[in-house]
Amino acid sequence: MSLIHIENLNKHFKVLNRREGLSGAFRDLFSGDYKTVEAVSGISFDIEAGEIVGYIGPNGAGKSTTIKMMTGILQPTSGVIEVNGLVPYYNRIRQAQTMGVVFGQRTQLWWDLPVIESFKILREIYKVDEKTFKQQMEMFNDLVGLKALHMQQVRTLSLGQRMLCDIAASFLHNPKVVFLDEPTIGLDISVKAKIRSLIKRLNTEHKTTIILTTHDLGDVEALCTRIIIIDKGKILYDGDIKKVNALFGAYRTLKVQIDNFNESTLQTLQEKIVNHFGVDKNLTVAQTEEFWTDITFDQALTPLSDVLNFVMKNFSVLDVRIVEISMENVVQKVYDGALG
Amino acid sequence: MRTLGEYIRLYFIIEAQYIKARMQYRADFIISSIGMFFTSLATLGVFWVILQSVPDVAGWSLMEMVFIYAFFMIAISPMQILFDHAWQLRFHVQEGTFLKYYFRPLNMMFYYMSEIFDLKGLIQLVMGIVLLIYASIQLQIDWTLLKIFLLLITLFSAALVQISIIVAASCAAFWVVESYPVLGLAWKLREFAPYPMSIFDGAFRFMFTFLIPIGFVAFYPSQLFLRPEEVSLLVYFSPIIGIGLFSLAYWIWTKGVNSYTGTGS
Repeated sequence: MSLIHIENLNKHFKVLNRREGLSGAFRDLFSGDYKTVEAVSGISFDIEAGEIVGYIGPNGAGKSTTIKMMTGILQPTSGVIEVNGLVPYYNRIRQAQTMGVVFGQRTQLWWDLPVIESFKILREIYKVDEKTFKQQMEMFNDLVGLKALHMQQVRTLSLGQRMLCDIAASFLHNPKVVFLDEPTIGLDISVKAKIRSLIKRLNTEHKTTIILTTHDLGDVEALCTRIIIIDKGKILYDGDIKKVNALFGAYRTLKVQIDNFNESTLQTLQEKIVNHFGVDKNLTVAQTEEFWTDITFDQALTPLSDVLNFVMKNFSVLDVRIVEISMENVVQKVYDGALG
Repeated sequence: MRTLGEYIRLYFIIEAQYIKARMQYRADFIISSIGMFFTSLATLGVFWVILQSVPDVAGWSLMEMVFIYAFFMIAISPMQILFDHAWQLRFHVQEGTFLKYYFRPLNMMFYYMSEIFDLKGLIQLVMGIVLLIYASIQLQIDWTLLKIFLLLITLFSAALVQISIIVAASCAAFWVVESYPVLGLAWKLREFAPYPMSIFDGAFRFMFTFLIPIGFVAFYPSQLFLRPEEVSLLVYFSPIIGIGLFSLAYWIWTKGVNSYTGTGS
């Protein structure tokens, strides 16, 4: 049997239709005019023990709502959800004993206490025996040098150090499944790498199942073998990462600032690029923010240097930025049938 | 499931660490304790001023009023010391930080309230005990074993009443965005507790006795020791009232916790 079993799961919220203005606010007080928002509608999946699954999607896609149902905070409107054979909402305390959760930047350690004291309290809360506790603490020390932080108050840790401690803490009681929500948000590249290797090691050490929600596609590439993409409450893709990898692995967006930019520049640029590289090469030109023009292309088909050279030669370019493809773009491409 | 004993042990472990950490902010502790001390002193001053101009308050002398106030101070201390985190509930709920309390294999009210242990409440408790002893010497109260037993029972019940009112009021945060007025009102009401209920007219006395029974926080139980001949039968029900109210507050808390959906993240 799978560790997490979700079948035709729905979560609907009733939201008041708000009216405008002061008089509207008064009428809202007595209003029975509700609309239903389908935060999650009809999703199904199974997750096996030991998997690392990337659960991704744009803001408001229904990721948090699903996680909240899996951790027993929210009761589903309908459908089946079982973690470890139990229904989370009705077995919160028993479930919590076999779960670990790290929610974004909100620490669950004791703010005023030294790190080691937080771990000692957690040992009591989860009834971790002395021997296991020692082993785990040794392991955390090997992985991220936790000992150096033992005596530091949680409030004085840097964001990266705190995140490392929070992740380690969520594994202390050897949970069966750990939910990591945006574990690398706001961190610099080197800390991100540290966190990713910590997660990977913790997963292999005890075959802990990990569900990772993130906006950072780098996290997904580095850690996950399976990926579930959700948007507007529905699952768009569930499967091997390799297929999706090609999508966001190879795509880059070249952002350029062109001197004397006006509406016709965008059109000229578009035409010139299509003429030069050909329609089949799948280059898109768009303006997403003021002064910046975005050229998104597949590196496998068109080398970055070619595109850059071409633009520099034909236009007077003031500034250039290269960015990896965003979550929103990936989701758009999945909609457009990129995974066919 | 955990036994009560395990919870108590865990509570001591958490609070021992918490107190150790708070002690590092000595100025904070000293200033808030001094504040607590003078707030209590000011109320006693008010009694003194009132009784300078009138011979008694509804037939109650200054020393009797001091006794009632001392009882009140002890009775509200457990709320102050153990349930002070209730004040922050609305911030946690609004900002979504309340989510973390769902993730531990613990009773949520226990876990939530265990995060703060209000040291300055200890000052209040000590002041209350000292005043109670002082007033009972002045009033020549004869403390028999039975009376001491009754005192402990009534203090326990009174503490439960006060805790329940604050916890229930703080739960408004689960349903109302601007919930402070509810808690603020509940907090204000406690100021009526150390006065003889007989000074309030019918409607208020009815409310303070049956609806929001702050009369049971100090006045009614104090009667048992000051004027046992006048005591109302209701006082003997105070443990039931205390436990009943706390069950009600706990039920409201559970409703709130179950209906909370959190903020996006």
